[in-house]
Amino acid sequence: MTMDATLSGHLQELRRGTVVVASLTVLREPGYGYSLLETLSAAGFEVEANTLYPLLRRLEAQGLLTSSWNTDEARPRKFYRTTEQGDAIAAALRDEWVRLDEAIGDLDHPAGTDSRSEK
Amino acid sequence: MTTSLIDRYVFTVLRRVPEGQRSDIERELRTSIEDAVDARVDGGQDRAAAVEQTLLELGDPDRLADGYADRPRYLIGPVFYPAWQRILVMLLSVVLPIVVAVMVVIRILEDASIGEVIGTAVGTALTAGAHMVFWVTLTFAILERTGVARSEVRGRAWSLDDLPRYEPGAPTPVQLVATLGWAVLLIAVIVLQQFAFTEVPVLDPANWSFWWPYLIGVLILEGVYAVWLFRRGAWSRTVAVVNAVLAAMFAIPVTWLAANERFFNPEWIATLDWGATDPLAWLTGATICIAVGGSLYDVVEVAVRSERARRGLPTPVPGTGREFSAPLS
Repeated sequence: MTMDATLSGHLQELRRGTVVVASLTVLREPGYGYSLLETLSAAGFEVEANTLYPLLRRLEAQGLLTSSWNTDEARPRKFYRTTEQGDAIAAALRDEWVRLDEAIGDLDHPAGTDSRSEK
Repeated sequence: MTTSLIDRYVFTVLRRVPEGQRSDIERELRTSIEDAVDARVDGGQDRAAAVEQTLLELGDPDRLADGYADRPRYLIGPVFYPAWQRILVMLLSVVLPIVVAVMVVIRILEDASIGEVIGTAVGTALTAGAHMVFWVTLTFAILERTGVARSEVRGRAWSLDDLPRYEPGAPTPVQLVATLGWAVLLIAVIVLQQFAFTEVPVLDPANWSFWWPYLIGVLILEGVYAVWLFRRGAWSRTVAVVNAVLAAMFAIPVTWLAANERFFNPEWIATLDWGATDPLAWLTGATICIAVGGSLYDVVEVAVRSERARRGLPTPVPGTGREFSAPLS
């Protein structure tokens, strides 16, 4: 396995799960599949349509999202919105993300050495 | 052209999606595709090219369908794989050879030609092997899909008690199952040979008045002994003596019956034609050898085990090349 393949494998492992946090956070404002895809890729999340669309339905089945068809416009779209439960879970996941980030930062720059200015 | 491409894509996804979700998924997928195509057209792309690009990016429709259906993309997952593999290896490396050997012996006793014997061996190996692989895999695939957790299979979570005990003082569950299985198999053979396998019974039916029921009784005692040993949890001199007595109770009558030509059914012997060899003499010799040899091996093996356990000597752990020294209790 080349270095690149190894790196991309580990990156994929690391990113798995971030799309859930991002989607639940973004969808506090109602949105539909394609709009969310755009928002996420503009925000720098490498997410593919074929993972995102099934994921939205799964999150809905878990009660973290609700959906409704908006037929006001010419093209009817299914809008998703984060539920209270989904919001609570997203908050817990974000907390965990921050905690992990700090923990990894501490490992990278052990206490005593000044962390950020060192580079 | 472009519409039909989208139709073909959407229908291919829908084929593999649960029926109840089809119309909803279809509506949503179509709008998502149209949105993406429109975005590309707005960016200055030709519509046909935009459709092609969008669908290419969505990728394999079967994969997308699996995502929607939330279906595992494997037959047996990591939870069950180790058990599945262990059972298959055991069946194919231990049980299958035994089954093939039994069938081959039966064919040889039936006076089959070498070609027929080879045919039986190959045929049995393929048929029985295919059955074993199929049924085991099917069972595990069903377990996987019905979502039975591993702890439910075991009845509880894994604990330290599940670690194998390697000291010679501990009879293992495998030994218990092997002894019980052997006793049940022999009883089945003794009973079934009267009605099945051959046209006339292999063993002398006259012995049903005493010796065959007696041997079945001894075999049942062997089973009781195996359970007793397992629950007792340790080999010892008592165990060695009980084992030796049981072995003698089985081997001596068998040897005596064989030596007095009362073991095999004369009618069955008469059906055998082995050319120059006298079937009765040969079978009698083989029976006595197996009865005496097997019993002696068993008696010595258990005696050695018991003695090692008593002295707390290290025992080899199979498959590791290591030795385990039991603390003297």
